[in-house]
Amino acid sequence: MTVEFENYPEIKSYAKSVTEPKWFTDIRVKALESQPKLELPNFEKIRYHRWPIQLKEKLKKVSSNAELLDDLPIEDAKHLVVQLGQDTLQKSGLTTFEEQGVVICDWQEALEKHSGLVQKYFMQKAIKFDEDLLTAQHVANLTSGLFIYVPKNTVVKEPLTTYFVQDSTQKNDYVHHVILVVDSNSEFSYLENLMTVGSEKTTANIIVEVIAQADSHIKFASVDRLGANTTTYLNRRGYLERNSKIDWSMGMMNDGNIVGDFDSDLVGDGAHSEVKVVAISTGKQVQGIDTRVTNIGRHTIGHILQHGVILSRSTLTFNGIGHIIKGAKGADAQQESRVLMLSTKAKGDANPILLIDDNDVTAGHAASVGRVNQEQLYYLMSRGLPKKVAERLVIRGFLGPVLAAIPSKVIEEQLKVTIERKLVDGQKDE
Amino acid sequence: MSTLEIKDLHVSIEGKNILKGVNLTMKTGEIHAIMGPNGTGKSTLSEAIMGHPAYKVTQGEVLLNGENILGLPVDERARAGLFLAMQYPAEIPGVTNAEFIRGAINARRPEDDALSIRSFLKQLDETMSVLDMTEEMADRYLNEGFSGGEKKRNEILQLMMIKPKFAILDEIDSGLDIDALKVVSRGVNKMRGPEFGSLIITHYQRLLNYIVPDVVHVMMGGRIVKQGGPELAKRLEDEGYAGLRDELGLDIKLVDEDA
Repeated sequence: MTVEFENYPEIKSYAKSVTEPKWFTDIRVKALESQPKLELPNFEKIRYHRWPIQLKEKLKKVSSNAELLDDLPIEDAKHLVVQLGQDTLQKSGLTTFEEQGVVICDWQEALEKHSGLVQKYFMQKAIKFDEDLLTAQHVANLTSGLFIYVPKNTVVKEPLTTYFVQDSTQKNDYVHHVILVVDSNSEFSYLENLMTVGSEKTTANIIVEVIAQADSHIKFASVDRLGANTTTYLNRRGYLERNSKIDWSMGMMNDGNIVGDFDSDLVGDGAHSEVKVVAISTGKQVQGIDTRVTNIGRHTIGHILQHGVILSRSTLTFNGIGHIIKGAKGADAQQESRVLMLSTKAKGDANPILLIDDNDVTAGHAASVGRVNQEQLYYLMSRGLPKKVAERLVIRGFLGPVLAAIPSKVIEEQLKVTIERKLVDGQKDE
Repeated sequence: MSTLEIKDLHVSIEGKNILKGVNLTMKTGEIHAIMGPNGTGKSTLSEAIMGHPAYKVTQGEVLLNGENILGLPVDERARAGLFLAMQYPAEIPGVTNAEFIRGAINARRPEDDALSIRSFLKQLDETMSVLDMTEEMADRYLNEGFSGGEKKRNEILQLMMIKPKFAILDEIDSGLDIDALKVVSRGVNKMRGPEFGSLIITHYQRLLNYIVPDVVHVMMGGRIVKQGGPELAKRLEDEGYAGLRDELGLDIKLVDEDA
């Protein structure tokens, strides 16, 4: 199929300004042209269709004022990439990675220097560009991101930390794409931080593709703190080949409305995905989290553990989807979703969905939405702790099983600090 | 010196009247015991003083140094100087014993004068050794998976660390073997002094051999029906509650009477 750029002057001029390869501009145009026949994806009990979640701003190259980062809590990690809006502002401590053959490039650099490698994985395995309207809009409007490739037989001992800061001092869509490919028999740990600076009403569309090739092991952690005025579609998708494993640990600490779509496709035999999610909703925000694990290969293991807390008038929906495809003999799908309500005006939902198309499998689920245990609160207060402090301790106990299951102590600690901060802020609205 | 006065206290739970006019006055420096048969309102009295939300005070007052505390939330009563060692302490996963106790102490201090970790740990170590508690108990989650005896010791550990003006001990002896009973008593006796008063609620006289009270109150049918010295407790142990009831001519059915 030939693509006629002349009909799309915005894409043409943007492509020229960043010198992206033709194949990439082609797929942008295809994504754009596919949109009229695509619809917004549906997630059980998550009603987001009327949010300003669709991308509306024109595709353009913009830069951000680096000083905006000064007031943000950015930790000086040993191996670090910091991006603000479309700009990469810091890359440090990456030499040891590069010596092992690991590629870490921002989006433009990756398209320039590793075009073939990017083309092999970009929206090919984990997600298709025309899967739905949001993925198509994403591809057509993508302007920033990171590409990481870990070669075969490479054990990277220390984690890579990234900060992706959305610049909402300007009214632009934030369209961000991460590809993490870990080739066979390799290991990699990654910690991603999403943040917002500024308070313009904006839309974010973020897709993260994690590709675990045979016998690889990936520890993927994220702490998401997008701003109150950012409406977000966040899709993290794992594609797991034979005997690979992904440990997902995600902290949804955003302040705005968000749909989180966290999926793992266990394609190869023996693939294993452990998904841990903690979420806190405060104020009037809505967080809808749809976590799916699909067992395709034999003897695959998919476990989902998600605990969340809701305050004020906020909403939190957890969907846990365990889907076992016919032929996935010996597969195991387990899930637990729990929501703790601190306010009578908050809305919580935990929906277990098991779709099982084979007999020779094991599966189980647990789900609950409940209030704070009054006896626990009374006990803590009877020792002199103010109610809000007591509530935070009970919440910590509630989130404890998820936090304790996170494979990295550093990330566990960081999440605890973020949780405390989000709770203290959230309690101010009570 | 501080005083705790309970005046004409009436309390109901789920619409049922349990306390029907309790009067009791105590000062720091004193240990009082409340004895009584099962189901007579002893625990109701302790929960009502502390402020458990399920217990409704329908009449009367509880005064701490002359101020009625019944309008205060639980945490403010605690910071004013009250402590309740509970019969069934809640389990709080995810929060270690040590950080909880430190938090409770710091809740009583100004924000810019928090107790340093070093001096806290020193106090904690010393107190735990008085109670024959192993060090690992400090790092375990609060009461989670504790045995009955461990929970009781842990209540006394908190009492000794927090140093309240008045401590109510609600059946701290239940489920304890004799060695554990001695250890718990040792802890409470160590607290004895002019700035500490305690109201010990017990079913049996045995505990009072180890913590000798200044005053013994006998409670039946939601009221205090008799007061005396330590010898009153001994008499009850010998004669049982039924004897005292009949002597006082009270029309009260004892819960365990049929058994």
